[in-house]
Amino acid sequence: MSEAPFRNPGWAGNTGEFDLAEAEVRGDSYVGERPLDGGHPGASPSLPYMLVKKDPSAPLFEGPYQERLDKILDRYPTSRAALLPVLNMAQELRGHVSPGTMDEVASLLDLGRAYVRGVATFYTMYNKRPVGRFLVQVCTNISCNLCGADEVLAAFLDHTGTELGETSADGNFTVVEAECLAACGFPTCVQINSRYFEDVGADDVTAIIERLKAETGDARL
Amino acid sequence: MPDNGRKPETVALTIDGREVVVPKGTSLLQAAAGAGIEVPHYCYHPGLSAPAQCRVCLVEVEGAPKLQPSCVTVAQDGQVVRTDSDEALEMRKGVFEFYLVNHPLDCPICDMSGECKLQDYVFAEGREHGRAHEPKRVFGRDDFGGDVLYYGDRCVMCTRCVRFMEEVAGDPRLTVVERGSRAVIDTFFDQGLEGASFAGNVVDICPVGALVSKEFLHKARAWDLDHTPSVCAGCSQGCNVELHTRDNLVQRLKPRENQEVNGHWMCDYGRESYEWINRPGRLESPQAGRGSRRKPTDWRDVLGRLHARLQELRGAEVIVIGSPLWPNEGLAALDALAQAAGQVSRRVFRSPRAQDEDPLPGFPLLIRRRDLAPNVDGAGLLGFDRDGSDVGEGGLDGVAAHDGILLVLGDELRDQSEEFGASAALFVYLGTHDSPAAANADFVLPVTNFAEQEGTFVNAQGRVQRFQQALRPPGTARPAWLVLGALAAALAGNGPPPSRADGAFAALVAAHPAFAGLDYDVLGVAGAPLADAGAATAAAAGQRAP
Ligand code: SF4
Ligand code: SF4
Ligand code: FES
Repeated sequence: MSEAPFRNPGWAGNTGEFDLAEAEVRGDSYVGERPLDGGHPGASPSLPYMLVKKDPSAPLFEGPYQERLDKILDRYPTSRAALLPVLNMAQELRGHVSPGTMDEVASLLDLGRAYVRGVATFYTMYNKRPVGRFLVQVCTNISCNLCGADEVLAAFLDHTGTELGETSADGNFTVVEAECLAACGFPTCVQINSRYFEDVGADDVTAIIERLKAETGDARL
Repeated sequence: MPDNGRKPETVALTIDGREVVVPKGTSLLQAAAGAGIEVPHYCYHPGLSAPAQCRVCLVEVEGAPKLQPSCVTVAQDGQVVRTDSDEALEMRKGVFEFYLVNHPLDCPICDMSGECKLQDYVFAEGREHGRAHEPKRVFGRDDFGGDVLYYGDRCVMCTRCVRFMEEVAGDPRLTVVERGSRAVIDTFFDQGLEGASFAGNVVDICPVGALVSKEFLHKARAWDLDHTPSVCAGCSQGCNVELHTRDNLVQRLKPRENQEVNGHWMCDYGRESYEWINRPGRLESPQAGRGSRRKPTDWRDVLGRLHARLQELRGAEVIVIGSPLWPNEGLAALDALAQAAGQVSRRVFRSPRAQDEDPLPGFPLLIRRRDLAPNVDGAGLLGFDRDGSDVGEGGLDGVAAHDGILLVLGDELRDQSEEFGASAALFVYLGTHDSPAAANADFVLPVTNFAEQEGTFVNAQGRVQRFQQALRPPGTARPAWLVLGALAAALAGNGPPPSRADGAFAALVAAHPAFAGLDYDVLGVAGAPLADAGAATAAAAGQRAP
């Protein structure tokens, strides 16, 4: 690699001529609630921010979120480039990216709102409609499928009493299929909100739901 | 090529065994097109950016490790390109097979059928039979508002429409929503294309039947349409168009490329304002006599009587009312007749004006002009003054009391009463439709509209543009220049009148210095600027000032 200074240091690796510490780029104070399991130390670098209580009508980008937004915008040469992280943050706050949210983000970043819709719909990780408190994504791609993903998926649907892609009546669960979650060594992999559950079999599903119940202290689950 | 240290301005390469010399920077696709070899392409359009995403333009370039997208590969000196090598054909065949995996193949009910690039390319290069057994996904259709209807199943995702709206219309309303086989083109939810005044162009550039015109929907099959080079009569921009006709009716307008005027585009207003050309109830034969004494007659009779009457009134005051919907030749002949007949006191036209202009941001030469008629500038150059209001009515002061000769061409006098022209010694009405206000006309002469004859308009840039005849005239209607030219020549006694449109144009050039130096043949279908286009338009603009 040449010695040319990095024009855009990003927040991973070489911070180049800007000489910014990661915390300066990301923000050093967590915002919102800690993840349910307290966050695995090994996973924390990939989880830059904590999860907030999702409120579909939460104001976008106020207080500490405004600060985060400014940092995100500083990081990119154009506002278009900042669209993904900004949508991410909007979803973190509101739980999903509604047409109204897309519109707000578009005017905030001065982009066409149709374009924002195009980007938001391209990525499956943006929820385009409200999801339950727990978004259960069961990998049904090759490795997991060979190791019983279909049964795991059926078990989740069974236990939560919902249809694929729908949200359970109590608002707690949305169960969807996911394409490869990049944990092929530990099939079946299930991602619940931002946490991975690996080596899941159909008969582990009850235990997982019990665990969520215990962690949240919510007997209604 | 001698190595003099300078970069050559052209490059020489071989395409399919043919030596081709093209300017530096030309893409392989354009270079091949120049040599008469069409390489399939969807995402590439000469008026848009080239994202190289559709992959149907792959060609073999000697020395390159894999096939190259010809739309973005720049021609190099000495390159050897094969557009039809086995490898290129095989690869493109595969690409087309993918395009057909979800394509509905509903050609029998698709408006694009017959001019569809998927049909053409698959027919030329694709597999004979599909191998896909899975059911196709179905989207149905989506009304985008305006004149545009979207059939998602037929879309090949070339994004030409998206790029047109963003790059040319400057109004990025379209986008690709979702991805993979679920991808469709859409606006921001129900925003639609309503109010986007150039959106109709997306229908033209869509290579398949995904975007179609609601107005044209199921109206005619592509192969039944005749295409005639013409000029849009919607406003004084004069976009170059093709009139698509069937059953002697204009069925639709399509823009025709002219980089000096409209690029590849035209506005929706112009595209949709053609119904007046087809309007039924035409005058089909000449008539003579005022009011209840009016009788149909024939041209020989009517011209003889009109000539005699003009002789009697020779030297009288003449008022001329023209129309900027008529070509230069007709207006010039009208003027020539008036000059030969007597003292011309007024030469006016009335024409609607829009409140404002509507420019196309991505092609700044193209502006939907305020003047909603094609030949306002020509009329100005030929000595006609604007009269009346911005809706093309009113004015005509003093015409009611006029007792000389009154010549009306093309103005239907909709706002005038049956008393109009009552006191004129001679009232000649030339038009396409009869009018209550023509009740007092001594002679009613059926003339052709611009689509039924050839001729020229002068646009707002001072460009003289020629159009060809697309329709058969009704009955015995004749071009105004033929009728008026014959009368003027007989009256002035100066030689035979022009019998063809080129002669009429030559007569006009001889009589009007503003047109000096122009030649009908040289105008071709692309037109040519007036010698002093700037001054001419300034003069015309001066005349137009209220
Ligand atoms: S609608 Fe037509 S122009 Fe637009 S992406 Fe689809 S095929 Fe291309
Ligand atoms: S800009 Fe004028 S000439 Fe061009 S298409 Fe529109 S109306 Fe017709
Ligand atoms: S035309 Fe070349 S990739 Fe689409």
